[in-house]
Amino acid sequence: MAKRVHQALTDEDLQSVMGGRGLPRISLRQRMQMTGVDFDGLSREIRRVKEESIADLPRLVEQFKAAATRNGSVVYEARDGEDANNYVLRLAQERDVKLIVKSKSMLTEEIELRQYLEKAGISVQETDIGEWIVQLANEKPIHMVGPAIHKTLKQVAELMSRATGRELEPEPQALLQASREALRQYYIDADMGISGGNIIIAETGTVVILTNEANGCMTTTLPPVYVAVVGYEKLVPGWEDAAAILRLLSRCTMGMKLTVYVSHISGPSRTDGIPGIPGLPGQGPQEMHVVLVDNGRQLMRDSGDFREALYCIKCGACLGACPVFTSVAGHTYGYIYQGGIGAVLTAFMNGMEQAKDPASLCLGCMACKDVCPACIDIPAMITRLRARSVDEDGLSWKSRLALRSILKHPARLAGALKIGSYLQKPFTDEDSMIRKLPSPLKSVAETISLPSISPRPLHSRIKGTPSRDKKASPRVALYAGCVADYAYPELGEAVGKVLGETGAVPYYPGGQSCCGAPAYFAGDVETALNMAKTNIFALEEGDPDYIVTVCPGCAAMLKKEYLSLTAGEGEWRKRAEALAGKVRDFSQLVLEMTPGVEKKPARESKITYHDPCHLKRGLGIYAEPRELLEREGYEIVEMNGADACCGFGGETVLNYPELSNSVMQRKLNAIEAAGVDTVVTSCAPCIMQLRGGLDKRQSKIRVIHSAELLAGDN
Amino acid sequence: MADIEELVEQFKADATRTGAVVYEAEGAGDARDYVLKLAQERGVRHIVKSKSAVAEGIGLREHLEKAGIEVRETDIGQWIAQLAGEEAGSETDKTVEQVAELISRETGQKLEPEGDVLMAAARRFLRQSYINAGMGISGADFGIAETGTMVNLSNDGNDRLATVLPLIHVTMMKREDIVATLSDAISRIKTLVEESGGGQIPSYITYHTGRNTTGDIRGALMARAQGPEEEHIVLLGNA
Repeated sequence: MAKRVHQALTDEDLQSVMGGRGLPRISLRQRMQMTGVDFDGLSREIRRVKEESIADLPRLVEQFKAAATRNGSVVYEARDGEDANNYVLRLAQERDVKLIVKSKSMLTEEIELRQYLEKAGISVQETDIGEWIVQLANEKPIHMVGPAIHKTLKQVAELMSRATGRELEPEPQALLQASREALRQYYIDADMGISGGNIIIAETGTVVILTNEANGCMTTTLPPVYVAVVGYEKLVPGWEDAAAILRLLSRCTMGMKLTVYVSHISGPSRTDGIPGIPGLPGQGPQEMHVVLVDNGRQLMRDSGDFREALYCIKCGACLGACPVFTSVAGHTYGYIYQGGIGAVLTAFMNGMEQAKDPASLCLGCMACKDVCPACIDIPAMITRLRARSVDEDGLSWKSRLALRSILKHPARLAGALKIGSYLQKPFTDEDSMIRKLPSPLKSVAETISLPSISPRPLHSRIKGTPSRDKKASPRVALYAGCVADYAYPELGEAVGKVLGETGAVPYYPGGQSCCGAPAYFAGDVETALNMAKTNIFALEEGDPDYIVTVCPGCAAMLKKEYLSLTAGEGEWRKRAEALAGKVRDFSQLVLEMTPGVEKKPARESKITYHDPCHLKRGLGIYAEPRELLEREGYEIVEMNGADACCGFGGETVLNYPELSNSVMQRKLNAIEAAGVDTVVTSCAPCIMQLRGGLDKRQSKIRVIHSAELLAGDN
Repeated sequence: MADIEELVEQFKADATRTGAVVYEAEGAGDARDYVLKLAQERGVRHIVKSKSAVAEGIGLREHLEKAGIEVRETDIGQWIAQLAGEEAGSETDKTVEQVAELISRETGQKLEPEGDVLMAAARRFLRQSYINAGMGISGADFGIAETGTMVNLSNDGNDRLATVLPLIHVTMMKREDIVATLSDAISRIKTLVEESGGGQIPSYITYHTGRNTTGDIRGALMARAQGPEEEHIVLLGNA
């Protein structure tokens, strides 16, 4: 996989069309909200429809079959790809079909229908221009909506020139004209038309397809036999249920209120035009077949943990939002469905083993979940996928060593890092940064300059639990997290200082361990639970009113994941709930502690704010840090993609330093383009990544936690 | 119930934004002239037309034919009426034998008075008309204001061919036939299906919004992919 990542990142043509775009100013979701689209309302509606439909699937299938049969369609239920392909091939052979036109369908790509028919000697012509390009290149679609978005104009011109036997210029209009002319004849000559289906409606036996090019209308209307090949998960009960899907599918794919053509097809063409002979076959297809395909979908439905993947409407919004996809593009994943959702689908269509590599690419930034019109928690499914493979195959020796032998035991971690703090000396520059390291950390140190391990970590600097004060000042326990504890102890001190000034009593409970995120996201649930218990116990010390962290990844663990980890653990679950209720982000707590403080006079320094993934999308906190900074007199210049991932992603930086770097470079470009002298953020690992990356660029821009900024000011 | 003027305004705004040209005709004559002028300016000689109460109501076919443009009805019933020299929109009362004669004469082959034989000939003959036509004219069962969409219900699918195959597509629609939202459209469809189809859902219900586009070739989102180059919508009042 690392090799494929490398190939993608060094493919100049690919990078010129993918990574070269830089970060969008705002996310798709924000854009929709700004243009008055009720994204939240519509996505909740889609979620409801999908949940109910999948729950009620057996009944809907029967209802669909009855209605479609009444309309004169033939319905075939296929177990898997082979079964579906074979049905279509047999039908084609029986009708003596020589040429088939096909509109775009991810399902037919999934089961490789075109290749199957071609092998049997039948010509199959893709009619969506993007699909046609991919067919000419003998490739798989790179994106579920834009199959050929990776092809440069020059490449397209070469492919189309070869196909049409004409010398075509790499000019969009010329290429479009050529495709139009070439494809038109195929529709006219074809003996069969094949489409997928975006939605199928049980009550009327209807197949709904959305297209923009008009190829869908021609494919489904001109040839005498029409076949729709559709996955079971596309079933909805009625027409009203389809409405929200139509709206958001159109929005998410093309930014339209509705795609240009929405065809609802309910049976073969018929006419009453010849007097006295009603119901004759009309000018369109005389036969309509609907092939309903399982191919792992029933297993997904039964799995419980991964049922959500069936709610996917294949809009591709998550791919556009994914920092990994937009860096390495779809082919790197290795299977037909791309991105995080693709990893889950791959697990059921190709096997758990095959899903491991694609799942390993996920940074866990949650950008996909944020834009999903069906509210699918893709990152959670990725974590469960990793947990399942740990269950089945165990951890790799490296992970076992790191997670179970060291991270799990605070004393061993402290010991190991103590040794590290001596070993690092030859590599540490005067400013305490490490810019070169020997293998196996060589490539990491080439990507970002690393902070040195502090010989005096935070836990050795702040000590002691205060006694219960009579004035009842709020007691705030600091939870450091590994990065702040060992790399940036001064950050913890700054938090303590600022909070102390608000009248709170900050302290550092002993016995804290790593929050468990590295283990949890690697799928090692057992170790993560162990660490959860250690921390729940540690953070009960001194009975704090609040617990504050400088790492939102840790905060999200304490506040959310500990609850699910301790779900079956009786008393521990109650203690986890008590803990979760106390966890605050630094900015959130400062605002809570100091209500009604007046805005300070404007400062010279212009700053930009980087939203940590786990703070914004994990905990929903993005307004508070900005409010606090503005109250302190700072003018925030918003960079493009302020909430785009920095590329750290825990394990990613170790497993795929090149990928981490590619994601980071776009972020750094956005930061530099903002024209500020300071980047403020709320996360120790983000600071490590951004400082390290900017240092490699020899940039003067400083990266700082809001607590440090405030502590320095006062 | 939203005000018709408001719905028309919103329909116009969205249809225009998505690449259609909306013309609000002052009356029947104005509507006829708009279509004729458009056809003449673009040098259109052949037109395919699907059933449209608006077009039939204003004698559009006859108007275009008088100006020397060939207009072919593609709804089978309307085509037969046209072959019989009957007025557009009328229901033909011919027998199957008479129909066989009409179609035989038009297609130049001797056809038996059997449904399947006649339809096979009609299909072949009309298919060529769609391909040759420079303009397609269709009606719309109704429009949707919030999206600028036209909705068509049909069993034959001839409207779909007349809509996407020719270079220019013109929709004739009544101002009063615009509903507010997609949800209203679904209610309207259900009513239409109950009223005219006796509960049987039509084979094709097509929502059509603006001009066809593609983003598949790098560079930009390009207007006109594989369908018509121009979309015109002629809105006509009740009076």
